[in-house]
Amino acid sequence: MLRFWKERFKTGIVTENPEIDKELEEIKKNLKDKVKKLFAGSLAIRMVDSGSCNACEAECNALSNPYYDLERLGIHFVASPRHADILLVSGVMTANMYHHVWDAYNQVPSPKWVITLGDCAKDLGVFEKTYAIKGVDLPVDYHIPGCPPTPKDIMQGLIEFLKKIEINKEK
Amino acid sequence: MRLIARFAQENENNFEIIDVFDIEIKKTKIDKNNPVTSTLTNKYPAAIWMERKIRDEFGINFEGCVDTRPLVKHERFPKNIYPMRKNFQKIDIEFGEFEPYEYEEVKGEGVFYVPVGPIHAGIIEPGHFQFSQAGEDMLHLEVRHFYKYRSIEKMCENKKPLEIKKIIERISGNESIAYQIAFFNILAKSAGIELNESFKNKSAILLEMERIIHHLTDLGFIPNDAGFAPALAFMSRLSEDARRTLAKVTGHRFGFGAINEEMKYDFSEIFKFINYLEEKINFFENWIIDIPSLWDRFDTTGGLSHEKAQRYGVVGVAARSSGVAIDTRNNQWYKNRGFEIQVRQKGEVSDRFLLRIAEIKNSIQIIRNCKTDSNEKIEFKEFNDGEFHSFVESSIGELFMYIKLKDGVIDRFYVRDPSHINWQAFHTAIYKDIIADFPLINKSFDLSYAGNDL
Ligand code: SF4
Repeated sequence: MLRFWKERFKTGIVTENPEIDKELEEIKKNLKDKVKKLFAGSLAIRMVDSGSCNACEAECNALSNPYYDLERLGIHFVASPRHADILLVSGVMTANMYHHVWDAYNQVPSPKWVITLGDCAKDLGVFEKTYAIKGVDLPVDYHIPGCPPTPKDIMQGLIEFLKKIEINKEK
Repeated sequence: MRLIARFAQENENNFEIIDVFDIEIKKTKIDKNNPVTSTLTNKYPAAIWMERKIRDEFGINFEGCVDTRPLVKHERFPKNIYPMRKNFQKIDIEFGEFEPYEYEEVKGEGVFYVPVGPIHAGIIEPGHFQFSQAGEDMLHLEVRHFYKYRSIEKMCENKKPLEIKKIIERISGNESIAYQIAFFNILAKSAGIELNESFKNKSAILLEMERIIHHLTDLGFIPNDAGFAPALAFMSRLSEDARRTLAKVTGHRFGFGAINEEMKYDFSEIFKFINYLEEKINFFENWIIDIPSLWDRFDTTGGLSHEKAQRYGVVGVAARSSGVAIDTRNNQWYKNRGFEIQVRQKGEVSDRFLLRIAEIKNSIQIIRNCKTDSNEKIEFKEFNDGEFHSFVESSIGELFMYIKLKDGVIDRFYVRDPSHINWQAFHTAIYKDIIADFPLINKSFDLSYAGNDL
């Protein structure tokens, strides 16, 4: 264990590493401020894969690695749709997932928002319609493009989404 | 004989069942008006899903197969259609009546069921696990999948070979490079050319990078599921570094589109990265070995016996951890580059964990021995009709791909992801454990849903 503490001391906190790019720092600050203002500092996301290749999920998982550390900004991926503000949907929505995704959607308490993640959740991306694919037909509030969107793209997308609801709120 | 795949295709005058074994390929013609043949499931339990899938998609029946439940057609999927037949061209289906699925269950006093999924608690692909429990003890598990069934096979039909490249890249995000290489092997066979050394070396480097990233991710998640979060912090950072390196070289964090006729990449970032990785992985090993509470959870958990692994024809990390020494890289070309097959014996969580560490170290050696200085280009002039197949060792295990070209377009596309076999043996690894061990066992196998469901 001693070895680990030594290594840890040597490494320092990677999120506070001055080498890290300025752009990411800016995104984080922005995101944290918006979450604080619009969601009292705590935004809960339930991610649902409706038929993806899994790269979109891998990038969402990457959001909690020490570089991005999304939890520190007040954004949590939660285990149940009932704890969520946002339903984040990836994948082409297969026929076999169709009713389950809608179930999850219905379980999210209002007010709720749907964000689609990745090209194939929008217009199937490179895939084509088959009998086994339905395509996402939820009431979508915002789309984060990319195949897959990088962790940075996802964070930037969340900022844009928050800006959008901020404007709507002020109206 | 090991069963690798069993699948069907439709010819003009008959259906054909193709059985791929490690030493031969057998074909059986079947009458279209009376589509019946005999089962392989008595001898090969992993043929069960393959036969159920064929029944669902082609309407071919298997005499003697005890399991006749639908597989890819879920509760509301119309039952009377056979979508992989050539005359089925509809792209929209109407949902049918809800027909409950009959789960395998163990009956007895005090036995209860725990259904999990298809939507799981974390950020993870959808699938369903049905546990029969007596208290905390798992008595039985039925794994039910195909929630992500997109019918990639039908999607690829009637297209020219290169038109499906982008789809191939996105069948399974964890194995994208392996899929691309399998596809290129087939293209080369059909074009009657030999892939050049430059292609082989470069694609081998990218494949090992993909394996490294996949293993690193698991090496973080497995301890995390045993309550040891620092390992996840450590490893998720390394896998992020690896992904960024891959992106610097190929322009994509997952290497989508990275395998090409010409690969003019500057690999220096990768060579730099593996030196750094080597130091980190040695540190990690020394550190993790010192944490007894972790090994308390890893040892004696999730044992997949050697016999079961063989009986099911398990492949990849899961096979090698159970003493079954199969790896499609086990050939002279790879050996010349420092490949050494990694094998462990007991097939427990600890074995799969340690095997991943050993494989990362070996991948580092392989990458070091691949030459990247030449830039020969592959030239595909035309693709000849015929049946072609290919094997690649993905990060999960042996991947088998088959393409039949007819009149210049794809007549049949089939893939057997390593997960398709391993998922079927997976339930045999849980019997001695309690349900709280399940996430650990699941993570240590880390199988693909997308590749399996196809
Ligand atoms: S958008 Fe691209 S990366 Fe995301 S799930 Fe679809 S195919 Fe995969």
